[in-house]
Amino acid sequence: MNPILIPIILPLASALLILLISEKTRYIKELLTIAVTGICLLSAISIIASALFGVSMEFASAWAGSGIAFTLKADKLSSFLLLGLSLFSFVIAIYSFSYKQKGNAGWFYFNLLITASFSAGAALADNMVTMLFFWEGLLIFLYSFIALSQSGQNSKKTAMKAFLINGVTDLCLLTGICITGYIAGTMSMAGISLNKLTLDGWAALGYVLMLIGALSKAGAIPFHTWIPDAALDSSAPFMAYVPAAVDKLLGIYFLTRISVYLFTLNGFAQLGLMTLGALTILIAVMMAFVQSDYKRLLSYHAVSQTGYMILGIGTLNPIGIAGGLFHMINHATYKSCLFMTAGSVERQTGSNDLSKLGGLFGVMPVTAVCFIISAAAISGIAPLNGFFSKELIYAGTLNTGYTIFFIAAELGSVLTLASFLKLGHSVFFGKRPEALNSTREAPFSTLLPMLILAGICVAFGFGARLPAQFLIDPSLQGLGLVHTEAIAGFHFNGLFWTSIVVILIALINHIFGLAAASGVASKSSDHIHYAPGFKEIYAMAERRMFDPYEQTMKHLPSLANILYKVDRFFDYLTDDLPSFVANSFSRTSQRFHTGSYPLYMALTIAGIAVYIIFTANYGGIK
Amino acid sequence: MTTSLLAYLLIPLFTAILIPFAARKRQKLADILATVTLLAGLINIGAILFNPANIANSFAGVPEDGFALLMIFVIYLVALCVTFFSAYFIGEDSKVNRVPYYSLIMTSVAAMCGIVIAGDFFTLYIFVEVLAVTSFAMITSDDSAKGLEGAIKYFLLTFPASLLILFGIAFLMLTAGTFSFENIKIIIASGMPVGPVVFAVSLILLGFLIKSGVVPFHTWTPDAYEGAYAPVSAYLAGIVTKISGVYAVIKISIMFRLFEIRAYHTADILMFLGMLSIAVGALAALRQKEFKRMLAFSSISQIGYIILAAGMGTPLAILGAIFHLVNHATFKTVLFLNSASLEKGAGTSDMRKLGGMEHSMPWTSWTSIVALLSTAGVPPLSGFWSKLIIIIALWDGGAKTYAVLALLFSVVTLAYFLIMQKNIFFGKPTEASRNAREVRPAMLAPVVVMCLLIVALGVFFPYIYAYLVETIAARIIL
Amino acid sequence: MTYHTLLFILVATAAMTAVMARNLLLSAIMLALVSVGASLILFDFQAPWAAVFELSVCAGLITVLFVSAVSLIRNEEGKVKDLRARFYAMPLVIAIVAVATWFYGIPFFDSLKNCALSGGRNNSLGSILWDIRRFDLLGQVSILAAGVFVINSIFPRRKKQK
Repeated sequence: MNPILIPIILPLASALLILLISEKTRYIKELLTIAVTGICLLSAISIIASALFGVSMEFASAWAGSGIAFTLKADKLSSFLLLGLSLFSFVIAIYSFSYKQKGNAGWFYFNLLITASFSAGAALADNMVTMLFFWEGLLIFLYSFIALSQSGQNSKKTAMKAFLINGVTDLCLLTGICITGYIAGTMSMAGISLNKLTLDGWAALGYVLMLIGALSKAGAIPFHTWIPDAALDSSAPFMAYVPAAVDKLLGIYFLTRISVYLFTLNGFAQLGLMTLGALTILIAVMMAFVQSDYKRLLSYHAVSQTGYMILGIGTLNPIGIAGGLFHMINHATYKSCLFMTAGSVERQTGSNDLSKLGGLFGVMPVTAVCFIISAAAISGIAPLNGFFSKELIYAGTLNTGYTIFFIAAELGSVLTLASFLKLGHSVFFGKRPEALNSTREAPFSTLLPMLILAGICVAFGFGARLPAQFLIDPSLQGLGLVHTEAIAGFHFNGLFWTSIVVILIALINHIFGLAAASGVASKSSDHIHYAPGFKEIYAMAERRMFDPYEQTMKHLPSLANILYKVDRFFDYLTDDLPSFVANSFSRTSQRFHTGSYPLYMALTIAGIAVYIIFTANYGGIK
Repeated sequence: MTTSLLAYLLIPLFTAILIPFAARKRQKLADILATVTLLAGLINIGAILFNPANIANSFAGVPEDGFALLMIFVIYLVALCVTFFSAYFIGEDSKVNRVPYYSLIMTSVAAMCGIVIAGDFFTLYIFVEVLAVTSFAMITSDDSAKGLEGAIKYFLLTFPASLLILFGIAFLMLTAGTFSFENIKIIIASGMPVGPVVFAVSLILLGFLIKSGVVPFHTWTPDAYEGAYAPVSAYLAGIVTKISGVYAVIKISIMFRLFEIRAYHTADILMFLGMLSIAVGALAALRQKEFKRMLAFSSISQIGYIILAAGMGTPLAILGAIFHLVNHATFKTVLFLNSASLEKGAGTSDMRKLGGMEHSMPWTSWTSIVALLSTAGVPPLSGFWSKLIIIIALWDGGAKTYAVLALLFSVVTLAYFLIMQKNIFFGKPTEASRNAREVRPAMLAPVVVMCLLIVALGVFFPYIYAYLVETIAARIIL
Repeated sequence: MTYHTLLFILVATAAMTAVMARNLLLSAIMLALVSVGASLILFDFQAPWAAVFELSVCAGLITVLFVSAVSLIRNEEGKVKDLRARFYAMPLVIAIVAVATWFYGIPFFDSLKNCALSGGRNNSLGSILWDIRRFDLLGQVSILAAGVFVINSIFPRRKKQK
């Protein structure tokens, strides 16, 4: 078998196998999943090795015909992505080994493996229809993943929300792919890239539709609203795996593909993308800042960080794109790690509410250290990985000349750090509540993945040259981008000093907030939360005034009512009117058939008379 | 007249005469004799029609015209179903006297065969009258008040038909000097003054239209079918009125083709009356509360399709008419026999008193569904194909309005039958339905056989079509 | 000629009986007799087609229909009050018609003599029946059989009801 098929077929087969394994068995499902994801990781390494140092692996098979073939192609970008995906599947599989609050274990691992298989397929697919097949498959299992992660009704509702939002945007993606494929004359991405499309006429529509699909997958505003809800209504491993890692990776991957690989964008599109990125950063981070739930706060950051990636790719210059891709993998690493710490805290204390937590550093030191590392990474504190990717994005932004986006991004950084100061302070430092005194550190199987990811954060920070050389650079080459600037290396330039300033501002803000909230860390954001002007906006946000999904759902009944009325009218035209007419005729005929012999005879004779006159006249005896 | 088919006429007649003598002591012998005779005839005709050797060489070895053969097959089939059904339907306390009942059925079978193999209008007329007399007596078999009313209406309202046919025959004798089908064809072909001949034939046609119960001459049908003794209504609706009226109409319309443009207006009237029948029958059936009466109106509507196609007169349309005639015999027999079963099982066939019968009489319910779907023209049942042929023929022949209307009214057909099915078989059981029991298997057998035939005719339609084309279109329509 | 006269008298008597009989069944049978007589006369006048028609339709069919109709209404027979006047008027009317025919009818029919079919068909009754209309004969048999069965089917029930 072609090794490129292993990451797709193996998890798929094992997922089906897992459903066959009895509910009562312990550890078999867990160990099987870990083994399978481990093998996938190894094969991903072999695939990327072959892509970097040899020939890209390919697989092609006839499928639906007329240009739709089942083609997989592990070029440098795809195999980089596959490596990331396999890594996260593997770590999450370890993490969930002893994690109890993940719903039914069989279904959890089934969904995990299926997601692993389909996301690998989507990453490797070269034919857009093949990719769409895996992409839509992910949608289905997104629903089951969320719906089965908790037993309550809320998870079903959130699952439906996620399903509908992604379903609609996937529909856009489908249309976009059809349009693009039709215009380009081929469904193969490699084929299109040989002769890139430009944004004019229908091609622009195709691009925008595909962009919607990619952004929605990545969780950019305004398609993000299911993620904070899922943070409350599903499990930590799910959050760490799907919204934090898989969705980001795939969404940004496809965004890069369409924006750089398939289309040649113009300045207008660049401006649009960057605006969207900046808005996503700011809005989401503002929301994150005031959250009082561990996972929900993280989930808003997951949205906010997407903004950086979009901003980076939107710059359209190699440095920015390199920053976007680097940030993509970095973000997945530390955000996954952060969600794991949230899960770990929830597992040990039973709560994710900031006001009920505190002072856990003493009892959960490993978790706390992992948290600090990844929180520092997300805040862009040198020399962790987040610092380097953000630096690249800033540089790319400055290269375009739009300084305003740079300022917005820096502002986002300030708020990011501020909210993590608040989060870290209220969970791991400060006064420990009485109830939490008996808390103990999480087990080894939970700590190991966190340590791995935190280690990667540190390693990609101190050794940023490594990923830059082996992952990012080749990906840029794969996209056909040429650059002269070095994309790795530590410089004491303006950007570094800016980051120091950012740290200082955030610290000052935190101290000020603490003072305003009289020392309660979890309320240290209140001075902004309840500031004049912000208060009303936040209140509206809490009421979901800005959630397109909720708003649509709210106005759906009245819309449905109108449609119902219209439908009733057509029903009347097609059902009632004919049946009314038929009935009235029928009634008349019923009234006529009285059984009266003279009447019948008269009718018969009249009929005969008319017939004879007619035939005699025309057929004729004349 | 086709001498080789004479046995199909003589043997039932002989049985009819034999029955009163043989069954004097043991009444049961009457239905055994009748059933055996009909079964023997059916096997005989079936052996001709379904002989693989005959099918293989396109019926080259069978000199008779395919229309007559097909009709004899249907006559025997329906008659057999009805006699077999009646054998179990007639209860011990029934007023029906078995001996004359079966004698009458056998006589009418003989008369129908006579009609089918007749070679001239006069013979046709005589046998039609025989048929009228026998059916008149059969309607009153159970001596109910409604039966008497139906019989008298049947008698009096179709009486003008006899008059018109006789008159037409006389006129034909005056103008053409002959009334043999072959001679008339020769005379027309030789280009005699044809107008009066057309008129004479139109008069005869009118007579047969009245006999077939086309609107506006349909008024006797509902009363006769509703009032008739239950199995007799199946017999009447299934085959008797079709042979005594519709058969001749098709025969004449085949002849009309020879008149070409000169019979144009008569053909027009024929089509108009056909369409009128379809519409009036279907619309009137919508609101009927009595199963048998509804079936009677449905019958009018279905005859409308046959007449409409016959009026169109193209070879394809004639084939459609003939096939629909066959199909109508099958599904209408099933539905009428089911109404009889309902009367036997639940004591009534009134829709207002019935409901939820599918639980107590599942076989009856399912066979009704098959038959009604076939009537409404749902593929792949036989009714679909005949309606399809008719509608295609109408469209091709330029009668596009009629084609569309015919299609629309087949939706109405489905509507009223579904109303019926819902009222009688689905829904909540009523008082009458709760006490109902399924009739015995022997009574279900004819219905089930007919249903299988409906399905088979639909599924093996290509063979049927080949038969129609090879033996009817190729030999008699030309 | 004697043969003709005898037939005429037979037909006339039968016709009068048919009109005047109180029993409807008797009327019907008499009517059949009229038809039979008439068809014999037609045969004798070399009009085989007309004769066959008369025999088939009137003698056979119509009789059967009448008999069956009569059998249905027998119950009601006694209830309708008879109109006795016709029994007195009938002979009078017949007499008047006979005299009128004597004066006007005979010359009229004499004038029609030339119009008679010159060819004539010298077929005997037997050859007509057996050679040309053999199939119709089968029809006649069927009609008779039907008539017998109708009566057989309807009359026993009437008796039972009484």
